[in-house]
Amino acid sequence: MPEIEIVGTAAHKAAVLSFTMQGVHAHDLGTILDADGVAVRTGHHCAMPVMTFFGLPATARASFGCYNTEEDVARLASALRRAREVFG
Amino acid sequence: MDLKELYRDVILDHNRHPRNFGPLADASHHAEGNNPLCGDCLSLALRVNGDRIEEIRFEGSGCAISTASASLMTEAVKGKDRPSVRQLFERMHALLTQPDAAPDPALGKLAALSGVREFPARVKCASLCWHTLNAALSASAATVSTE
Repeated sequence: MPEIEIVGTAAHKAAVLSFTMQGVHAHDLGTILDADGVAVRTGHHCAMPVMTFFGLPATARASFGCYNTEEDVARLASALRRAREVFG
Repeated sequence: MDLKELYRDVILDHNRHPRNFGPLADASHHAEGNNPLCGDCLSLALRVNGDRIEEIRFEGSGCAISTASASLMTEAVKGKDRPSVRQLFERMHALLTQPDAAPDPALGKLAALSGVREFPARVKCASLCWHTLNAALSASAATVSTE
């Protein structure tokens, strides 16, 4: 999805993905994803200085563990598309 | 949880095109509101003449709920006197926090925010601007926080 920007692109990145969606604030993303059964963290992530550094008011963050399946990832993707639809 | 109850058309519209957004050069009252856990920040400037809010504008960044709530609030309180604003504040508080609050015709367009009470984590988004308005109208505090 072109309107999604991933924050943090280290070569050996851990399985956490912070991102923003153009036109949809992270808190609204969080609520919409939650309604589809997808849990992400949103906001400052207890790291206000680095958020200020990046000039971001908030991000959403998905974390992946060994228990997650490809189906979970597909569900995240479809919930993100739904967020896009809600905000038109 | 019905998302359409939360993100009503009025709210999406005020989020996309916030009313009374921007600086106010000749403000007589001013306050900042912060929601430190989520990063929302709001700056409110008013021109008060006697007991009446002649002009009110806001700036800042926040989610759709907080932006729409601030935009709707500025429309609702512009031209009103302090006692009327106080009354609106009480009515909004009831709307956002009481699960069985009956529809309140006095709220007008502000009633579009009634869906927020089904999402407890989002109540602060909608109430931040009202607490900031209270701070601006009382001489004592210049910054409010939801924490």
